[in-house]
Amino acid sequence: MASSSSSSSKESYREELRTAIRQLTDRCLHSASKWAGEQLVGLGAVQDQSKFTPTNTRFQRGSSSIRRRFLSTDTLTPSGGVSYVSTPVHQEDGNYDSDNYLVAMSYFNCKEFKRAAHVLRDETGKKAVFLRCYAIYLAGEKRKEEEVIELDGPLGKSTAVNNELVSLERELSTYRQNGTIDPFCLYLYGIVLKEKGREDLARTVLLESVNKYPWNWSAWSELQRLCTNVDVLKGLNLKNHWMRDFFLGIVYQELRMHTECLAKYEYLQGIFCFSNYIQAQIAKAQYSLREFEEVEVIFEDLQRNDPYRIDDMDMYSNVLYAKECCSSLSHLAHKVFLTDKYRPESCCIIGNYYSLKGQHEKSVMYFRRALQLNKNYLSAWTLMGHEYVEMKNTPAAVDAYRRAIDINPCDYRAWYGLGQAYEMMNMPFYALYYFRKSASLQPNDSRLWIAMAQCYETEQLRMLEEAIKCYKRAANCNDREAIALHQLGKLYSELGRSEEAAFYFKKDLERMEAEELEGPNMEKESARSLLRSIRNAQGGSPSTSSEHFSQ
Amino acid sequence: MAGKSNVGFRITPHKVSVCILLQLYAPPEQVLVPFPFSTVSQHNRLGLFLLTLTKACDNFLEQKLDELINELDEIGGVLNQWLTEHLMHHLSSFKSPDDLFNFFSTLRGTLGSPDSTVMDDQIILDPNSQLGVFLRRCLLAFNQLSFEGVCHLLTNIGIYTKEASSSHDTRDEDDSNNGLEELVDCEDMDLEHYGFEEIIEESEGRTRGREGSMFHIHVPRPLLEMVEGVELRPVMIVDKGSLFAHHLTDALRADDHRGGMFSRDTNWQPFVLGAAKSSLFKNIFMDLPRLCIHSCEEGVDIAPSSSPSMSFGKYETALLCLGMMHSHFGHLKQALEKNDDTCLSYALTAICNLLSDIGISTATGIIGSSYLPVTSFASSLAIQQQLLELLTRSLKRAENLKLTRLVASNRLAMAKFELLHVKRSLLSFGPKSSTKLRTCPSNVIKELRLSSYLLGEVGVDGAAVTVDGAFSSAWLKNLRKPNSSSVLLQGNELGSGCESFHFGGQPSPIPGSLLQLSGSSYLLRATAWEHYGSSTLARLNALIHSTCFADASSSADRELAYIKLIRHLSIFKGHKEAFSALKVAEDKFLSVTKSGIQMLKLQLLHDRALHRGQLKLAQRVCDEFGVLASSVEHAISLLLLAEIHKKAGNAVLGISYALASLSFCQSLNLDLLEASTTLMLGELWLSLGSNHAKRALNLVHKSLPMIFGHGGLELRARANVAVAKCHLSDSSYSVSEDFEAVLDPLRQASEDLEVLEYHELASEAFYLMAQVFNNLGQLEEREKAAASFQKHVLALQDAKNEEEPLSTTM
Repeated sequence: MASSSSSSSKESYREELRTAIRQLTDRCLHSASKWAGEQLVGLGAVQDQSKFTPTNTRFQRGSSSIRRRFLSTDTLTPSGGVSYVSTPVHQEDGNYDSDNYLVAMSYFNCKEFKRAAHVLRDETGKKAVFLRCYAIYLAGEKRKEEEVIELDGPLGKSTAVNNELVSLERELSTYRQNGTIDPFCLYLYGIVLKEKGREDLARTVLLESVNKYPWNWSAWSELQRLCTNVDVLKGLNLKNHWMRDFFLGIVYQELRMHTECLAKYEYLQGIFCFSNYIQAQIAKAQYSLREFEEVEVIFEDLQRNDPYRIDDMDMYSNVLYAKECCSSLSHLAHKVFLTDKYRPESCCIIGNYYSLKGQHEKSVMYFRRALQLNKNYLSAWTLMGHEYVEMKNTPAAVDAYRRAIDINPCDYRAWYGLGQAYEMMNMPFYALYYFRKSASLQPNDSRLWIAMAQCYETEQLRMLEEAIKCYKRAANCNDREAIALHQLGKLYSELGRSEEAAFYFKKDLERMEAEELEGPNMEKESARSLLRSIRNAQGGSPSTSSEHFSQ
Repeated sequence: MAGKSNVGFRITPHKVSVCILLQLYAPPEQVLVPFPFSTVSQHNRLGLFLLTLTKACDNFLEQKLDELINELDEIGGVLNQWLTEHLMHHLSSFKSPDDLFNFFSTLRGTLGSPDSTVMDDQIILDPNSQLGVFLRRCLLAFNQLSFEGVCHLLTNIGIYTKEASSSHDTRDEDDSNNGLEELVDCEDMDLEHYGFEEIIEESEGRTRGREGSMFHIHVPRPLLEMVEGVELRPVMIVDKGSLFAHHLTDALRADDHRGGMFSRDTNWQPFVLGAAKSSLFKNIFMDLPRLCIHSCEEGVDIAPSSSPSMSFGKYETALLCLGMMHSHFGHLKQALEKNDDTCLSYALTAICNLLSDIGISTATGIIGSSYLPVTSFASSLAIQQQLLELLTRSLKRAENLKLTRLVASNRLAMAKFELLHVKRSLLSFGPKSSTKLRTCPSNVIKELRLSSYLLGEVGVDGAAVTVDGAFSSAWLKNLRKPNSSSVLLQGNELGSGCESFHFGGQPSPIPGSLLQLSGSSYLLRATAWEHYGSSTLARLNALIHSTCFADASSSADRELAYIKLIRHLSIFKGHKEAFSALKVAEDKFLSVTKSGIQMLKLQLLHDRALHRGQLKLAQRVCDEFGVLASSVEHAISLLLLAEIHKKAGNAVLGISYALASLSFCQSLNLDLLEASTTLMLGELWLSLGSNHAKRALNLVHKSLPMIFGHGGLELRARANVAVAKCHLSDSSYSVSEDFEAVLDPLRQASEDLEVLEYHELASEAFYLMAQVFNNLGQLEEREKAAASFQKHVLALQDAKNEEEPLSTTM
């Protein structure tokens, strides 16, 4: 346990990350290495003047408003002076790699996994063992993907499995029992266990891996996927390494603990001031909180600093879609198209563009393409479902939404979409079920409550009391479209409860006046006339009633 | 706009320019004279200009922006500057796909409003007018674009505008008193748009442009040249590094100068193949696809029907070369990989032609004994299957793409295939599988009719386009007059436009390829008639081909026509005339296609040897024939075998062969061959003894209508002799009662046989005649017949000893 000053701790992060990048790259764990690299650069310029590189200085000069904001508010000291457990830097077995290992690495990088594994068949070093197992695993994955396409086409559902899992599990569990397993093999073992459905053991193994070697972001990500609720998270015995904060960030995000998540990332941004990753994560959290303006600012900034970034840009396109910025969306689409048109995100962005243009067929085409590139691309499934709803093709929409839910059962949009689809098919009971599911996942979204309320209102159900409850929930959840208040007034007046009705109409009017809605507003007029008629019916003087309601 | 389709219609920067001008011409708010125009006539001039532009839009190559601007200068007058600026500004304002999308959405507003009142001379943008249709095609083409397509269009517009702005600048520098601001504008735009390196590039381009401006900027290039003179331009812009492509283009161009031989004669294959054999052939593979793809991507509108004089022009030639190359080297897949539809369909057709040339038709229409119609060699089944599949696909594709001429040519190829092959039903197993064959004469005729109909249509279309072109160019010629003399300008402009509408001086030549296609359709008809009956009609068609289409058609076709005619001569006029004609033909086609003539010669020699009773020579010729023609069609060979067995006196064996041949003929609908086989069968039965005479007579009678209708001299003579012999050997027949029944056919036969120098059969006929006269007691007549008999017997013996003069030349 060592508490250190901010600059020296930053320096030590830097050293840790540098070593980690080398080690991860050596093991062909490229995405983890990429992530670590981003955070390394995200730490900002090196204090030591001699180490300044031109890119670093330019990077600093190009700092944006947001960065400046954070730089000005936060000092470089991590708030609260958290003390981290320092984990000793992982020591490699030998100083240099065997020739076979070098060849295997090249093979691996050329995606010739079986060949790489074969070259390493007699190597016994830990590094070699890991790379061999990893290569075997990836070969199996590759074959699995191919089989899926062979058997069921690019978007088919298939039960194809990775045939290497059994032998890998046997081998890796032996190593673990012998105690000869290193954190990288543990990570792989975790993946294998997870795929075999042994999630508890997988969690334990991954936990072991990240506690021993915290710089492997891929291991953390896998662990996050196994943290399906808060209790599981609490049950994890994590060492207090700084990497844990990144982990908590995404866990909070996925568990929809948005405020905690935002706080975590903003804290991290104090240290990793220039991390694009953290910026994007903040955007994601803001997006979940439906703070679109914030998100847009962040993404504009991100685009300036990292113009060829495609990761997370689909979220940006969602924001632009929601804000109906056709031109910016087309700019974005054009840009990502020129950068890499065969990224699922790119296709998704183009799909969004066409959707906004009302060309739903073309939109579906691009979402399909996105899914062909990545079958597990959750939002593409959901968005495609939305497109099918627009095209009144409910069976296809239902299918798309179900695929989304298969991938992530916590996707409230897909549940909501299913509800909508069944509503279109005049099946309000089903719709109600799905809306309820959706609302339970995202209880602060007024739209979901309103949808549910409308279901209760339908001719078939006529459960007005329940509808009123839902509208009340919606009204409490910052109902932007302001449907709830008006509907509440209407419902109460329908039920002959004019007092409540008048109360809500009045609130509705107040709201409208507060928002200063201009011009002849139908809703406003109707609310006014309804209010008037209620008052007349009550026969009381308007002043008393208004006093009565203005508590 | 017949024959044009939206499939080949691609939206290009040039078309976008035209659309921008169209929007100026007909802004959504219907004012009598829209904003920039001060007079109705000014407005109309732009309208007419747009009309020519839209008509020229289906041309082979599209204009560059600077060319368009030059033309705008000519019509715009005072407005020129404004129009140009507006166009440039609008083009450079396309910054994102959404801008294009919005532009086309507003364009949609330009259309419609069919209720608008038509003012005097004003042309309203009615959706069904020429301009309206053009606009609708553009809108449709744009809407069909994928996002990638829109992005490409955006990029292309950028390039298109940039190219022009650099050369535009030079021009503006030239007349330095105006347009300075615009120059600055352009520069600004470029700075924003392209950054530093581009500016360097651009300035280089500008210097290049300055050099080039010597030629076309000071002297405004007449639009006439643009509209009509597509051929004047170099084929296409090819990667400068690709040596061979240049080579090829040069060669093509050079060939064009040589009286357009290259584009007319499909025998350019030797050229390409020759090149292929040289060390360059790898380059061909590298560059030909690039050539094709490049021209596709260049946005060249390749709907060939719209540019008739170019139809077998360089682009297609390049495509065909590509197809030929690939198929020649066996890379059928690669040839099929080209994803441009038009490109692919041309390649397919090229492959079909090559396959049928190489695999099948080398000896088509050549083989067959003098009385037998043409039949084919059995080529390997694999090639046939492949060919049929390719043909069907190619035909379908061409139909989808509405490439009229290609459809016509494919239909011809189909007819050819059906003539040569028997389509069997696919299910050929199982006890009850139907063995019905699907080839029938009506199919073939249908294909031929369809193709000739299509060819006719192409002709009409082509003529129409020529007239259009003449009109536009005449109009434009006239257009320049008012610019030079202001007197005319004040007069009736429309009137002057009308005056120029005389196109008498413009001959509309039928393109060579068209001639060639229709020529070969005649040849195919000739073959079809040979198969299915009438040799007169066959001769007629062959004659038409060799007299009307000799100049335009390929040497192979010409040769085939000659062969058909010569064979006809030999059948109807005797061997002497045939051999003299053969001599002429041999001189004419000395080296090119020796084999066809050679085969014909062998065949004629064989027939004559057989007639003269020189059996050994016949055998020898037959052997050689067999070497040249690897496997003769079954029906003919069976019949030949039957004939040999008959000659050898082994009638029983002969009958079985004849029966087999008969069934073949029936299944293939080969009527004349069937008749001759029936006759042979009759003769065979007769030779089995007099008790079969009735049966034999029935058979011979059955064959008579066909033989007398369409058969040659020999066949008719044989039939006549057979009839006489049947009667004579029939025990119930007595000469004294009905001698004419015997004598008449014998007289006919002997006349024909004397012309044919068929000594053996002639002697037999005279012998029979002598016998009949003897029975009738007409001694004088008997002596005459006997003398003739003796003459022919002697000639036969002489011939056996005589050394054959022609056979030595073999």
